[in-house]
Amino acid sequence: MTIEKRVAECFADAGVTGWLHAREIDGAREVAVGADTPVVLASVFKLPLLVAVFRAAETGEVDPAGRVTLDPGERSGGPTGIGAMFDQVSMSVRDLALLAMSVSDNAAADALVDLVGFEAINHVTESLGLTTTCVVQRSRELTESMVRDAGVADAAELAPLLTDRRVLRTLSALRPESTNRSTPREMTALLTALWRDKVASPESCAAMRRLLGLQVWPHRLASGFPFDDVRVAGKTGTLPTLRNEVGVVEYPDGGRYAVAAFTSSVRTSFTLPAADAVIGTAARLAVDHLRAG
Amino acid sequence: MLFVDLVRHLRYFLAVAEELHFGRAARRLHMSQPPLSQRIQRLEHELGVRLFDRAARQVRLTDAGAALLVEAREVLGRVDHLHTVADRLRRGEAGVLRGGMLPDLPGDVVASLVSEFRDRCPDVRLTLRELTTAEQLRALADRTLDVGVLRHPFDAPWLDQGEVLSQPLGVLCPPGWPPGPLRLADLAGQELVIFPRTTAPALHDELLSTCARHGFTPRVVHEAATPGFALGLVLAGGAVALHHLDSPAPHPDVRCLPLVGAPLAWRTSPVWPRGKHTPAVAAFAEILTARLTPAELAPRPPLHPRPTTEYLP
Repeated sequence: MTIEKRVAECFADAGVTGWLHAREIDGAREVAVGADTPVVLASVFKLPLLVAVFRAAETGEVDPAGRVTLDPGERSGGPTGIGAMFDQVSMSVRDLALLAMSVSDNAAADALVDLVGFEAINHVTESLGLTTTCVVQRSRELTESMVRDAGVADAAELAPLLTDRRVLRTLSALRPESTNRSTPREMTALLTALWRDKVASPESCAAMRRLLGLQVWPHRLASGFPFDDVRVAGKTGTLPTLRNEVGVVEYPDGGRYAVAAFTSSVRTSFTLPAADAVIGTAARLAVDHLRAG
Repeated sequence: MLFVDLVRHLRYFLAVAEELHFGRAARRLHMSQPPLSQRIQRLEHELGVRLFDRAARQVRLTDAGAALLVEAREVLGRVDHLHTVADRLRRGEAGVLRGGMLPDLPGDVVASLVSEFRDRCPDVRLTLRELTTAEQLRALADRTLDVGVLRHPFDAPWLDQGEVLSQPLGVLCPPGWPPGPLRLADLAGQELVIFPRTTAPALHDELLSTCARHGFTPRVVHEAATPGFALGLVLAGGAVALHHLDSPAPHPDVRCLPLVGAPLAWRTSPVWPRGKHTPAVAAFAEILTARLTPAELAPRPPLHPRPTTEYLP
């Protein structure tokens, strides 16, 4: 059985459809399963955002240590980080980036978008020749589109409807053409450039790689590599039925592999551990294949 | 007269019989003469015979006394031996040592453990039971085992453990497999035969994790409790099994190949309940340690703790 077929079977067995691209950072070997299919980024958009912020810091447009104040009621909401806090928060730009990457903090990410602008974010991917990738929304607009599409008053009313297929079909946030989008192959291209120090100065790239390594979620990509000597860095993205993660797996023998996995689950439940874990399982199948040489 | 009292009186009798002089016998016993005389009289009363003729200036054994002196020496000798045995039992130099033995320890290790233990501790009877790590932990907790041989990983802070001993594992390959050292990644596509998870869940998971780390994630894992079943699955083709490198291959058609870098090994330690390190336990542990290879303190690979550890910066 080919590796592509095994990866596809692995996704199917977990009750998801999956699109995956895995490649060597320092070579050209790859595993591609629907790797050029346009996919919804969800919070993965915070990765090109991160690069744009570090680039803006290098050009002096943004002071990475400069303080930003976020007020409750004005800032974007979310289930983690500042998005979930009670009170006014003031912190540096680079610490906002830390929260946006480590816990996918929506309030922090949207504040960073406000600092650098969509043009700068899309310039990151355009400069790498990535033509499908496009960031058009902050977390706030994404939530607002779902409220609007579902025909409810606010996010609180929206939540109970999000396991209903009839509601999900109306959501433009789940369609690549109307939200932040990319392809698995374009995301591994971005990661490869980041790991090769090509998207910014080596110091900035090292700092960004560190932030990706600080992501707290263990249930997706990292779950496939339960080895203390293997480094996993990544960024997840989640929307109803959609579970994504893009990241890099590094072995102590020097092997480095970029993986981008995007999935859509058959079931609509919020909590589907098998659908989370299959991202790790499929990634390891692919990485083992690349390592077997 | 109580037994203990009788023994004491027999010692008075012995002293007087050897000295044939109440004064000297009393000095030897660190007592004065009148009570010694009284006690000899009590013994004579108890036994119903006269032991000594007491002439004006001379003490002599009667015929009965001479006959009973032989018996008294015999009794006192046995009593001394009884105390000696009790002491050795208390110190663990005699008696029974109940040992646990892992089912898959090589036969020659078990054989030398039994014979060398017999030589080193001739007064201790070694009873061995074949038990898994989980069963031994229960038996040690119940105090139905005095010493065990456990396979790592286990977590039992109430036990003391001896050295960590290593038995490198090879791979039992089906007929027709090319000879020469293997990488685990070369086994991709093979099914794996391994011991049942219930017998040692942590070890089972650790072995599969190590296989995965080195590029071998078997699609099918067979759980075989007996070597015969494992051998059969390997002989049939399409499956490999883990096998002690230092044990002979169990069949002429299969071969046990070493793994490059020896990523897989059983790690084994003798263990005993904390504070129960008797000479017999020490002998058991030392013999086992001499028969197996101490695990090398391998240079640690770089470790990358993830944020989920919650305790490392």
